Amino acid sequence: MQIMDILIVLGGSVAFAILAPIIGCLLAGIDRVISARMQGRVGPPLLQPYYDVRKLFAKEKVTVNSVQDVYVICALIFAILAGGIFFTGGNLLMCVFVITLSSLFFIIAAYSSRSPYAEVGAARETIQVMSYEPMVLIFAVAFYMATTFISPEGIPGSFNVSEIFSLDMPVIGPMVLVFLGLLFILTIKLRKSPFDLSMSHHAHQEIVRGMTTEMSGSTLALVEITHWCENVLFLGWIAIFFVWSNPVSIALAIVVALLVYFLEIFIDNNFARVKWQFMFKSAWIVALVCGGVNLAVLAFL
Amino acid sequence: MELLVFLIAFPIVAAALLLCVRNDIGRGAITCVSAGVIACASIVLAVEHLGTEGVYFDAASEYIDYLCTLISSICVVIIIAFSLKYKRLLAGVLAALQIGAVFVVEFGFAHEMEVPQGLYIDSFSILMALIIGIIGSGICVYALGYMKDFQHHEPEDAKDRRPVFFALMFIFLSAMFAIVFSNNMSWIFTAWEVTTLCSFLLIGYTKTDEAIANAFRQIVMNLLGGIAFIFALFYCALELKTFSFVEFIATGITSPDLVLIPVILLAFAGITKAAQMPFQTWLLGAMVAPTPTSALLHSSTMVKAGVFLLVKLAPCFLVSPVPSIMVMLVGAITFLLCSFMAISQTNAKRVLAYSTIANLGLITACAGVGSPEAVWAAIFLILFHAIAKSLLFLCVGTAEHHIGSRDIEDMDLLFERMPRLARFMMLGIMCMFIAPFGMLIAKWATLVSFADMDQIALILILAFGSAATFMFWAKWLGKLAGIAGSPENVETTVHKSEWAALVLMAALLIVCCVLIPYISWGIVIPYEVSVYGLAVQDISNDNLWLASICVFVVVIALFTGIGRSKAKKVDIYLSGINIDDDTRTFRNSLSGETQAIVRNWYMESLFGESKIAPIGVIFNSVIMVAALVLALCGLTLI
Repeated sequence: MQIMDILIVLGGSVAFAILAPIIGCLLAGIDRVISARMQGRVGPPLLQPYYDVRKLFAKEKVTVNSVQDVYVICALIFAILAGGIFFTGGNLLMCVFVITLSSLFFIIAAYSSRSPYAEVGAARETIQVMSYEPMVLIFAVAFYMATTFISPEGIPGSFNVSEIFSLDMPVIGPMVLVFLGLLFILTIKLRKSPFDLSMSHHAHQEIVRGMTTEMSGSTLALVEITHWCENVLFLGWIAIFFVWSNPVSIALAIVVALLVYFLEIFIDNNFARVKWQFMFKSAWIVALVCGGVNLAVLAFL
Repeated sequence: MELLVFLIAFPIVAAALLLCVRNDIGRGAITCVSAGVIACASIVLAVEHLGTEGVYFDAASEYIDYLCTLISSICVVIIIAFSLKYKRLLAGVLAALQIGAVFVVEFGFAHEMEVPQGLYIDSFSILMALIIGIIGSGICVYALGYMKDFQHHEPEDAKDRRPVFFALMFIFLSAMFAIVFSNNMSWIFTAWEVTTLCSFLLIGYTKTDEAIANAFRQIVMNLLGGIAFIFALFYCALELKTFSFVEFIATGITSPDLVLIPVILLAFAGITKAAQMPFQTWLLGAMVAPTPTSALLHSSTMVKAGVFLLVKLAPCFLVSPVPSIMVMLVGAITFLLCSFMAISQTNAKRVLAYSTIANLGLITACAGVGSPEAVWAAIFLILFHAIAKSLLFLCVGTAEHHIGSRDIEDMDLLFERMPRLARFMMLGIMCMFIAPFGMLIAKWATLVSFADMDQIALILILAFGSAATFMFWAKWLGKLAGIAGSPENVETTVHKSEWAALVLMAALLIVCCVLIPYISWGIVIPYEVSVYGLAVQDISNDNLWLASICVFVVVIALFTGIGRSKAKKVDIYLSGINIDDDTRTFRNSLSGETQAIVRNWYMESLFGESKIAPIGVIFNSVIMVAALVLALCGLTLI
């Protein structure tokens, strides 16, 4: 029984490892096309992110030390595992913790180079993690309490994502504030301006390149793929707010996730990067207010 | 039964021998053999009683009671002597007050209080015995090499007081065994006072002004706890007519009002010993002592006695709101604020100290919640905190002797200067704060238990505190991970005994992280069953095994994967021509030399001690006073 569950997660991770980069790559392509249109440019073709990564893999292997690539590979492995856990209906908290582990490996990879620019980026990434982590944990706990609330009498709630398919209504109802809070920190997690402090894809916002300053070739390609996988996972988090026992809801959830993604692109193109103080304080205040009130309501119900 | 007595008595024999032997070889032999014997005995004990729901042994004698009184008196005499010598009267007065209370309890009531079954063993004490027996004695072995270096750094004419040091370490272990095996609360109290005295002497070991001041701060705070403990005993003697701990807890479950005051007093004693705010300063001050002392105090002894008592009382908290809220809030606030303050510290030992206090706060909060799920989490927090913290303290101690600093900023390039040590340190740090390692699994369980009890405030505190925890560990980890050129490897002069202890802790850490499901099944669940009559586990076994797989991957990456890359090496980018990658100097556009300096973030303006500490001290003091007043009023109202 236990072995079956673990095999399902591992199998799901393999499937995620194949599908998520494809979907993530397309999403990144759409991002670049839409961003270009918003800025009044023609922009690159849809598959440009794929061409970029393919080219990176073809480059000569050059590195500043002998450890960075291992850390980056670990980051990718755990991002994939987090996706596998989530999309096989596994434990939401486990998913949250494993994706944090992935972020940590990425941070260590940046620190290990000892480049001053990468270290500044890594320190900022650490602050970013500290900024969004409370809201993410509150999201997982609220999910648990919301499933407890919606489930028929006598059936306890669950941290398992698969639980949503047995619910009569989506969890968005009792956790609308948490949804808003999660939207706020999603900008940090998707590395979108104004919260792209540790590394920005807007050339004008960056002194050198933040965390990835000393990463090149295949290592940089793996970073890009990790980012794609993460994006798919985070949009999955958004999607589960709108799924319930009705199969049609999955289509609805995908539409909502795409709309949210569009919203993030819109924000990305309309706000300049802020200082870390603002990001940190606003993220914690949002988590405290949205999360705290929502949890209190759920506990009261 | 014989094994229990052996575990309590044998360390005292070892201590007596160590006190007499003055040469290095003899001390080394005695320490290693005794440590081995204690570790083996605790393992045998664990294997014999694996899965037990509690066995109580007939052990009662007037002579033991008198012996306890004698030991308490000796402790007090020593404290009073020191307080006169250094003119610190407060400690002396408190000690005198305490001994007065002891005599009243002992000669006024004790002969009426028969506790026929004075010794016991249940699954929780098995776990504690393993922690004390393996980790505690491992630290004693480590101290051999460390104290040799330490003595070497002392002035020429300094007196070699190492025999006293090692004797105290072993007495400490004996007292801890007595605490976890005794069912007679007056025996627990005696052992409790012995641990207080031992840590007082160990903290003051160097006899510098700072050490003396911190030692007295420790003794004053812990004497307050001790006085609360003896008053609890006094109350038990008057109202309950028994000193049996198991009966006390049983009464606490069935009729919480009857034991309201002693439960609050005992909780207070536990809180002082576990260095919860407002008493956090004694543990911070304790780091002036040689590092093995810190390792011992933080991981397997002293503070663990405090949380042991609190977790034992958890079932009473579950049914009694006043002490429950007091313990929950004190623990949770301590966890949150100490995690914040750890961000602003550059001194590695101070970061470790704040992290210890924070984690003890979490254990305290779990105990306060009191549900079986929370106890499951608390026990795992105790276990993994003991292993990871001892590993980290030993690493920092060794690093300090070889790089000459305990400042995190100076640990730059440690990965190259001390490659093996840095890996151990990274492993220890990861175990403290990141999934899939033990501490985070325990925190996960904590979160679930809080959610089950609808403790919104605790959930929020845990969420924000964990985020702060990530910050201060990740930046330290990053500092360690840096790799530049090829600085000199200074690791070759580390003593064998230090390596032995380090490898032991690292191996324990990995094994325990991988085998969480078995530990849960063999030790923690049986304890739950014995106390609550039901077996619950916050995290399903498949998730635990998944975590084990992750641990495996991380460990392999850390110890075999990194450093194997065959790619072409290039210099980092430094806005000029690189001169030296170790110091990050480069030739700038004016042909001069420029050095790039990067320091970690300490966010003093947000998380400085002077801003945060007063909040916790005031808040927690008010809570505890309020709880005590409520309890006293409650009684008078009835």
